[in-house]
Amino acid sequence: MNYDWTLWGLFILLGLATTLPRASFIVLGERAALPESLQKALRYAPAAALAAIVAPDIFVSGGELTLFSPRLAAAVAAVLAALLFRNPWLPFIAGMGVLWGLGHLIPG
Amino acid sequence: MSPRFRDGLLEGFRAFLPLSVGLIPWALVTGLTMAGAGFTPLQAMGMNVIVFAGTAQLGTLPLIAAGTPVWLIVITAFVLNLRFIIFSAAIARGFHGVPLGARWLSGHLLTDGAFATCLEKMLSHPDPHWRLGYYLGPSLWSWLLWQLFAFCGVMAAGSIPRGWSLEFMATIALIVLLVPMARVRPMLVAALVGGGLAVALRGMPLRLGVIVAIVGGIAAGFAAESWRGKDLP
Repeated sequence: MNYDWTLWGLFILLGLATTLPRASFIVLGERAALPESLQKALRYAPAAALAAIVAPDIFVSGGELTLFSPRLAAAVAAVLAALLFRNPWLPFIAGMGVLWGLGHLIPG
Repeated sequence: MSPRFRDGLLEGFRAFLPLSVGLIPWALVTGLTMAGAGFTPLQAMGMNVIVFAGTAQLGTLPLIAAGTPVWLIVITAFVLNLRFIIFSAAIARGFHGVPLGARWLSGHLLTDGAFATCLEKMLSHPDPHWRLGYYLGPSLWSWLLWQLFAFCGVMAAGSIPRGWSLEFMATIALIVLLVPMARVRPMLVAALVGGGLAVALRGMPLRLGVIVAIVGGIAAGFAAESWRGKDLP
């Protein structure tokens, strides 16, 4: 895939979108405070967002719900490796290993 | 450079050095994934320098590669970094007496690792010069490692065949971030509802289903926490 110059505009927007939350209170300092209920709700944002991005990658292929696929097996292997071991490389080795292994067994 | 700033810088660096090794696989995977999304090395390193946010980079790459509308990609990155509003609020008191320019730089460089390493000393040490040094030591080191190893990843990707589905590395990376979060019950509820809604709503135009799913997941996590709170005596 090729991208044109607009990709750089997107990078700048993404830079703003990621820097503003980080800089917010460090820059504002004592002049601002965050309501406690909002702080509580915001704690769930990363988990909800990560799952919302990951789940379609694992369970949907070609627009259809697919309950058994090499990608699901690879994801399960990665989850198990992350749960059972502390080695930061292992989920990648296990997940990609399963994906490649099953990809050779089941063509397509 | 004042000697107190330098003392803080060195002490922060020493405290963070062993932990910083954990950044290396992330940076490598992010580099590989950016190349897998079809970026040239210049585009990949441009994103790495301008955005400097691993989760937001890994999370938006599948959306960018799928041709998702810009505003949805930007909102997704913003949501993925929302946790930093909390970190920023928690550590803000440590920047009392630090000039505005240094505060913007510190904000841009805020990472999970720097926050975890620096929070306690940032809130307790009396000298603003020392505190800024103690914060920037780990932060600048993280920045350097992040750029260096992402570059290695981008370069290594060229020697890996296309059929190897490298883009799945981003999915695995996001799973690895998600697993420790989901050990807490309301967090697991937020993830299950967010993931379930994203799959169920995949037919919505413009990938709007992702945003609806995120909002639904946050609401579900918040509700689960409130209910659990009521059950306990």
